[in-house]
Amino acid sequence: MNEFLTLVVIGVGTYAMRAAFLVGREAKPPKVLERYLPHVAPAVLAAIAAPALVAPRGEISLTETLPALIAAAATWLVWGRTHQMAVALIAGLGLWWLLLFGLSFVS
Amino acid sequence: MTDLPRVRPVSDGVRDALTVVIAYIPFGLALGATLASLNVDPFIAWTSSPLIVAGASQLVSVQLLSEGAAPVIVVLTALVVNSRHLLYSASLAPYWRDWGRGTRAAGAYFLADPMYALAIARYEGRAEDSTARLRYYFAMSLTAWAGWMILTGAGVLLGAVLPESLPLELAAPLTFLLLLLPTLKGRPAYVSAATAGIVAIIAAPLPLGLGLIAAAIVGMIAGALTERMQS
Repeated sequence: MNEFLTLVVIGVGTYAMRAAFLVGREAKPPKVLERYLPHVAPAVLAAIAAPALVAPRGEISLTETLPALIAAAATWLVWGRTHQMAVALIAGLGLWWLLLFGLSFVS
Repeated sequence: MTDLPRVRPVSDGVRDALTVVIAYIPFGLALGATLASLNVDPFIAWTSSPLIVAGASQLVSVQLLSEGAAPVIVVLTALVVNSRHLLYSASLAPYWRDWGRGTRAAGAYFLADPMYALAIARYEGRAEDSTARLRYYFAMSLTAWAGWMILTGAGVLLGAVLPESLPLELAAPLTFLLLLLPTLKGRPAYVSAATAGIVAIIAAPLPLGLGLIAAAIVGMIAGALTERMQS
């Protein structure tokens, strides 16, 4: 029960952050932030993706980082050609598996 | 027989969301399986999906609970991890200005990472009236939300029988890369993404996911400076 209550509190807090600038009488971001808002999406999404792309399983090393970065580049390339998110994801994941499979023979 | 582009915000929203749900299958199932394997009642662990709607912090909070951490620590950790949502809230405010207050309050509940990424890509990519924006947002976010509930639920139920043979760790970061790509329009966007990415890698060892929010802030500043130099 305590565990459930803790999750409820986190949920309420998270909702408060999501609603912060959206539920006032007027939906208005603070003036201070206005210059920076156009860059929220690229900055936050890159900050989420980058660490896990260079260390998908928690360590940065040649055999871990290089296959992941090659797979990321392939994903980017396929998305640029097709603009199909699912297709690009499957291509990137598939290439990553192939590279790991190949490495398992070498090492 | 017109040359006007057909505007179909609802079906576009459902389609975009389904694409993201498909991309989230590995991450959602893996998260559900992890939730079920911990020292917390699996159903209670799963309720983090409708309560929090944010994968990373669901994982962190249930893991901490499973280790018997104090509730106050769990709450503070999860909220710091989720602080980026403040930025999403500010970023979408101009686009939701004409909606009623109740509608905005309801929309805020669904404002998780992929919903934000799809919404901002749509809003920046085409000039639509506020009704079309609203229809797109709710069709997209309801679909993605339902998908997240089902995926994490399936992960909880199937956790024990999921094959261990295929490594899926790269699925989530590749999904975020694919959410990032449509936002890369113009040099400031590239600069803020590259800066944030590099800072996030360097700052990854920081506790509480602070590296993420620090990187986001540095990236946003870099983007704003680039924009100023261009004009």
